[in-house]
Amino acid sequence: MITTFLQRLLWMIALVVLQMVVFNYIHLFGYATPLPFIYFLLLFPQGTQRWGILLWGFICGLLCDITTLTLGVGAATMTFIAFVQPPLLQHMVSKDDPEDLQPGIATMGFWSYFRYALVLTILFVSTYFLLQTFNFFHPIDLLIAMVSSWALTFLFCILFEALRYKLL
Amino acid sequence: MRALLDFLAKYYHWLVFILLEVVSFVLLFQFNHYQNSVWLTTANTVVGHVDAWERSVLHYLYLGRTNEQLTRRNIILEQNIEELTRRIERLTHDSTRTELLQTERLTGIKLIPAKVVNNSVMKKDNLMTISAGSADGVETEMGVVCGTGIVGIVFQTSPHFSIVMPLLNHHSQISCRLRGTLYAGTLRWEGDSPLHAVLDDIPRHAQFRIGDVVETSGYSAIFPPGLFVGRVKNIYNSNDGLSYKLQIQLGIDFSCLQDVSVVAQEFRPEISELEEKADSIKNKAR
Repeated sequence: MITTFLQRLLWMIALVVLQMVVFNYIHLFGYATPLPFIYFLLLFPQGTQRWGILLWGFICGLLCDITTLTLGVGAATMTFIAFVQPPLLQHMVSKDDPEDLQPGIATMGFWSYFRYALVLTILFVSTYFLLQTFNFFHPIDLLIAMVSSWALTFLFCILFEALRYKLL
Repeated sequence: MRALLDFLAKYYHWLVFILLEVVSFVLLFQFNHYQNSVWLTTANTVVGHVDAWERSVLHYLYLGRTNEQLTRRNIILEQNIEELTRRIERLTHDSTRTELLQTERLTGIKLIPAKVVNNSVMKKDNLMTISAGSADGVETEMGVVCGTGIVGIVFQTSPHFSIVMPLLNHHSQISCRLRGTLYAGTLRWEGDSPLHAVLDDIPRHAQFRIGDVVETSGYSAIFPPGLFVGRVKNIYNSNDGLSYKLQIQLGIDFSCLQDVSVVAQEFRPEISELEEKADSIKNKAR
């Protein structure tokens, strides 16, 4: 229990620090900014208490907001993703899988995990950018920023998962 | 209660989700100027629309009261228009010869103006109420006239109103004569048409024709002589065949009579007193 808690805490701190130190400074072509701290929510296993995921998501989003000085954007987005993650994961895995399935390439297979990560990252990036810009004055620019940022975010998430898979 | 607890236990994550989202959005709008301004603008627009809708609904609900006020106001304005129209008519009125003559005849005689407040023409014994009474100087047995003829005689008075016995009453008998002659008779109403009366007792040797003017004779203290009454319309023989009975076209249309004047003759009390004395002497002699 405590191990799990500490593991989550470490993942969260690591991802937030990475976001703060590295990813916040990447603005590829002036549009693409990776937001891979979403990976933190991809890690939660099936059967985790819903309120727990929500709280972790909220705190993680809030910490990232503090580093980017856009208070509320990350917190609202991460809370939303934390809300949809459990039913989405349940939908992605088969009934034969264990009830406390840890989502990952090792447990779900590459393509299943790929789809799982794809849906959550798309939801995450689009929500994040909509809340951040809060208008549709430049829809093309917004779309480019969303798609490019999503591509980088998704890439880093798969990369993190591949690394974790290799290390494990 | 149990059902509520079950519901909360099952869907508590919804509550947590909503709570955290609310906190997030409060932070978003509190610490981000742009989002805050967009939120306020949108909220103001929505509130404005809701207010406008509420106002239109309330306005609709108050329509009844507004309508009532408008109706009341309308009635007041209509009365004002009526009054002003009457004043304009009076000021710009082109007087007929009859009216001019009537006015001339009444010069020097005190006239008390009054309005007709109640009137009837369809009964056998019609009575009329006018808006002048003893407080205005009206007394019983005073004559009542208007611009186009004589109306009747004051029958009863109260401080502010008087009852007049008009020509259109079976008991009304007014001494009249044919203008230009001294042949007098008694004008009375037979109850058929409110536009016609009958002049009795015109001697058979009298010279006159249809269309001749009938006026007051002045044989009583009620009306001064020479006031227009009407014109001869038909000539008949009286029942005993000794005199003529003339059908008179009256100068007044009693059904639309509005403004009248009470004739207060200067010597009327004196004449009345004298007549009473004469009557009492006659009675004593009997």
